[in-house]
Amino acid sequence: MERMTGKQRFLAALRGEPVDRPPAASIVSVINYELMDIVDSHFPAANTEPEAMAQLAAGAHEVMGFDSVMPIFSIAQEATALGCEVDWSDTTMMPTPTTHPWEDREVKIQLPDGFPDSFLNDKYVSCAVEAIRLLKKRFGDEVMILGKVMGPWTLSYHLYNVQEFLYDTIIDPDRVRESLQTLKIVPLTFAKAQIEAGADAIVWADHATGDLVRNTMYRDFLLPLHQELIPQVPAPVILHCCGPTLDRIQFFREAGFKAFHFESQVPPDKAIEETQGKIKLAGNINNPVTLFSRGPAEVRFEAQRAIDAGVHIIAPECAVPLQTSVENLKEIVATCEDNPKN
Amino acid sequence: MSREEEIKKGLYDNTLVGNRKEVETLTNEGVALGMSPMDMLFGALIPSLQEVGRRFEVGDYFVPEMLVSAKAMQGAMVILRPLLVQSGAKPIATVMMFTVKGDVHDIGKNLCNIMLEGAGFTVVDLGVNTSTDKMMAAIKQHNPPVVGMSAFLTTTMPMFKVNMEAMAKEGIRDKVKVMVGGAPVTQEYANKVGADGYAPDANATVRLAKKLVAEMGYDVMDTEIKEEVVAAVQAVEALMNKAGAHETAQDASTESN
Repeated sequence: MERMTGKQRFLAALRGEPVDRPPAASIVSVINYELMDIVDSHFPAANTEPEAMAQLAAGAHEVMGFDSVMPIFSIAQEATALGCEVDWSDTTMMPTPTTHPWEDREVKIQLPDGFPDSFLNDKYVSCAVEAIRLLKKRFGDEVMILGKVMGPWTLSYHLYNVQEFLYDTIIDPDRVRESLQTLKIVPLTFAKAQIEAGADAIVWADHATGDLVRNTMYRDFLLPLHQELIPQVPAPVILHCCGPTLDRIQFFREAGFKAFHFESQVPPDKAIEETQGKIKLAGNINNPVTLFSRGPAEVRFEAQRAIDAGVHIIAPECAVPLQTSVENLKEIVATCEDNPKN
Repeated sequence: MSREEEIKKGLYDNTLVGNRKEVETLTNEGVALGMSPMDMLFGALIPSLQEVGRRFEVGDYFVPEMLVSAKAMQGAMVILRPLLVQSGAKPIATVMMFTVKGDVHDIGKNLCNIMLEGAGFTVVDLGVNTSTDKMMAAIKQHNPPVVGMSAFLTTTMPMFKVNMEAMAKEGIRDKVKVMVGGAPVTQEYANKVGADGYAPDANATVRLAKKLVAEMGYDVMDTEIKEEVVAAVQAVEALMNKAGAHETAQDASTESN
């Protein structure tokens, strides 16, 4: 089989079509301090300026060889635009929301005035969209360009405060539903802007994870919303959800996502079984132990295990620690290259 | 069943399901009847919370259920805490808890705080996104024998090591026991970064804190309530052993496939 481009390979894997080898992907951030030095793009500029953001994201392919690039490294763009306080100035850490406007139960759950224009014109939201535009210009159709959005469940964590939100899933489920219904337009709006800018697919992060909630909470609160929203995104959508999720793949596979990006706690062979062929899988190399603390041999072992189990797109399980080495990340790509197919 | 026994049963049952209003009502009634606050705490509330912890460990309860039970327990503690102080119940020791810099997740930490307080510790909570400098200043101020660090993200876990290195640089690392936790944290990672212990959940955190302060020479039990607590702990440990056997069987089944 002729050698495919990164984008061809990634899209073929998403569609279940033959590939020359498994794609190695950056799904939810593979950037790290070493890469920042190599491409000379650092925080905070890489989080706040489109050119620096695109430069660092491009390193995932140009330096490490991944078939995809994804410039939205943090999870805070929407939260900032919706009213959370976020410190974007830190040079060493990913920015995170530190205030939660809807935590006060007296506060009305509503989007800021002027949505969607006010949202799309927000400095950090527009930065992400522009970075995607720059990456499209840089790579054309050679490399898969991924966008990323936070879904309504994760946005609720940010706007509401995780603890109060989860508390209300039992004590005040109507308020939870109100939050989800109010926020559902946000990822749709952001996703469409990213696709218009050149994103080939969207990573949709909605953390109804087994670390926090039982699987029936996903089924009852979020599955109907996903079934409503995902078909409205004019590009393939990859669900990202950390933690133990084996018990809810049965629901994820009915939601309309093209793929599910999963974590190392979930055995890849069991995950494949649960998909029943209805959803593709991306993942699931362990971050804190394998990628952060161990070496290329251990990375290769896990990548090979995922490939052997039938995982369609090989990737770290989540945003890698910033201290992760380029060498370890390149080993994911090397393992995929050593597994030619067709 | 006497009214006192009914109250204790009611406290247990309603804490288990997180009925805060009823827990508060029953606690107030118990106080009005002259019931011992220690008896309500160690005879009903703590065993209930320990059952909550057990259910969480075996996967029957998740975080929302833990939160509603914890809030119910908090309702009782607001009423009982002043009475416990009056009755001379001494805290075991001080535990300092925080979420590391760059991380704002705190549910797990907050649940641990409640369980630790319920078990008799004084908790100093530094909150979230806690810088190393803030941690060091607080350690100097409060002299906790145990420091608990939480990280929910793989990107913030490296702060455990950064914080412990700062303690070593100041010459205080050997004066505190460090326990770590958070969703992505493992025993292996805790060992690798040099922590003194790792706990996967709030219940285990209490056990670990007791073990660590006992190693430092603290008396982890009030002599007056020793027998009640021993019985309660033994009952819980029997359940935990069952839960542990259940989890081990599950893990073995997963590995072999």
